Amino acid sequence: MRSTDSLIVRYIARRSVPFIQLYALYVLGHGEDGPGGGFQGGVIFASSFVLLGLANGWGYGRRAAPARLLDPLLPLGCLIYLGIGLAALLAGGAFLEYGALAGSDDPEVRRHWHHYGLIGIEVGVMVTVSAAMATLFFEMARPARVQARVDRVGEEADRA
Amino acid sequence: MPDAGGPLLPPAGPAAAVPGPAAFADVLGWLATHYNYAIYILLMMIGLYAVLAKGNLVKKVIGLNLLQTAVFLFYLSIGKIDGATAPVVWTDRPPGAEGVPYENPVPHVLMLTAIVVGVSVTAVALALVVRIREAYGTVDEGEILASDEAQEEAESARAEAQEAAADAAGARE
Repeated sequence: MRSTDSLIVRYIARRSVPFIQLYALYVLGHGEDGPGGGFQGGVIFASSFVLLGLANGWGYGRRAAPARLLDPLLPLGCLIYLGIGLAALLAGGAFLEYGALAGSDDPEVRRHWHHYGLIGIEVGVMVTVSAAMATLFFEMARPARVQARVDRVGEEADRA
Repeated sequence: MPDAGGPLLPPAGPAAAVPGPAAFADVLGWLATHYNYAIYILLMMIGLYAVLAKGNLVKKVIGLNLLQTAVFLFYLSIGKIDGATAPVVWTDRPPGAEGVPYENPVPHVLMLTAIVVGVSVTAVALALVVRIREAYGTVDEGEILASDEAQEEAESARAEAQEAAADAAGARE
């Protein structure tokens, strides 16, 4: 995939990335008691990489979000979600009963831990969703010449 | 938010049997309090127009997104009740208790799933547009079709030339 010819488009796309990602974290933080959360934040986060890939070329975007970084993140988010659920179970509560994580019967402390647990699983959702969205885009948009190189390397590895 | 918790359609009175000025006024009055349905129709038509009439594939993807957003708005409007809370268990006021209306969660959950599916569709569509630009050098639908036609014509012309050459060779023998 070629990058766009316009220097302005490429530069603005590059400079927008940190702002898009900051906005994604803002949306993530508001998921607890308003519109937002892990799904939406994760999608906005991934859209920054999609923008890089569209404006600066596939390779530029893929270097910013390489497969060796994204692939472990896909199951990691699920594990965070599951881990918090199981931690509540181990702490003596029900599955995903965040209040039990406090280890205290004080309703005020339990309420705080409810918030922490909720933000924790939202982070897990965000990690998986953003990695999945970026992987979906970059794998589908992989240019033919890159695919040919990957195939060649695979064949050589098979022969060796 | 308008009172979307009221009846979805204007009440069918005697005036509705024979459409007259009164029925028309009923519909207008209903639309004035349920203007989110008007916005839904407008958004959906804009999206449909973009998908059908625009040549640029990226603009088609944007139109598809507008169409999706219209459907989200429609579903959420159906589930909306004025002054209602989320169906979450509050220890001090449980949902469904006297005087505490709660919104229908089914449209919300359905649309949450639809948003995720829609975003995935957008990612795949953008990736396909990237591959199309790589193959054709353009994202304009008309140019892509013209390029396909030109290629087909060139191929059929080549096949005809080969046939003619074979015929000529046969005639010589």
